[in-house]
Amino acid sequence: MAYGVVMEFDRFFKFSQLLLRDEFVLSYSGYVSEDILLAVGETLRARLEDHARDGTQIRNVFSIFVELMQNIIRYGVEGPQPGDGAGEKPSFGIVMVSENEGHMDVIAGNYVLPDEAEQLVERVEQLQSQSPEELRRMYRERLRKSPDESSKGASLGLIEIARRSTLPISCESTQTSDGLCFFMIKATV
Amino acid sequence: MDLKLEATSRTPAINLDASAGSLTLSGESYPEDVTGFYAELTSALNAYFESEATALAVDIRLTYFNSSSARALMELLEQLDDAAARGVDISVNWFCDPDDDITREFAEDIAADVRSARVTICDLDVD
Repeated sequence: MAYGVVMEFDRFFKFSQLLLRDEFVLSYSGYVSEDILLAVGETLRARLEDHARDGTQIRNVFSIFVELMQNIIRYGVEGPQPGDGAGEKPSFGIVMVSENEGHMDVIAGNYVLPDEAEQLVERVEQLQSQSPEELRRMYRERLRKSPDESSKGASLGLIEIARRSTLPISCESTQTSDGLCFFMIKATV
Repeated sequence: MDLKLEATSRTPAINLDASAGSLTLSGESYPEDVTGFYAELTSALNAYFESEATALAVDIRLTYFNSSSARALMELLEQLDDAAARGVDISVNWFCDPDDDITREFAEDIAADVRSARVTICDLDVD
């Protein structure tokens, strides 16, 4: 248990250091819903007007943000402190946009079930080594599959993130003390 | 069978004008409920094609659409292509921001399987 607490502070400390070092554009941490996506997305766009180099960078960062938030809504779980009440509970997630020597990093993290985490890591790894042409071919192919056939391969949203990221996307999954995994993914524009 | 929807911050304006034989989609598309949002257009178009319509000119002027909307747009083009295969004269002008190569590629990929309708990808005038 103590180890878990130390890890939490460790992560929190890293987070705080990042905020101090980099030009910080926006961060959201909490339950993620479609309403939150809209509100934070509009704030992000307004902030990007001041920070981004051009319209293309704004569009790519915003698009990646939308796909990451929707992935959290779809695949995330509510995390270690579930709210009360029955029915569908929103997923917990963190998203951060920071400016680093002219690049924009978009990082998202959320709790997922261990099986899901393993699949997500596999899918991101599948995309990492692909050329733009190959990513485009995968996008085309994926578009023509129904979302129900989603058991194999990266989702359309994940492929879009990889295509809009100017560096290969990366990810990491860390087991948490409560039997969940915290999945983190990063794109750079 | 006319359909007129005002744009919201996350859904496009849609204008299906049966007497003019035109359909325009403009604005941004990342609806909370993509399927529900585009279902309304699908049924309006079905009614339009059932009314012995002979032609439809479509303008797509979307400045942003998310990946779920991409799939909905592909289904829209499939519906238009089916009508074209049955003899309706259908032309689609899809306007993309000239600075946004990826979205243009998305549009090309979404329209890749269209056989009977005419699809032209054009530059969107950006101010």
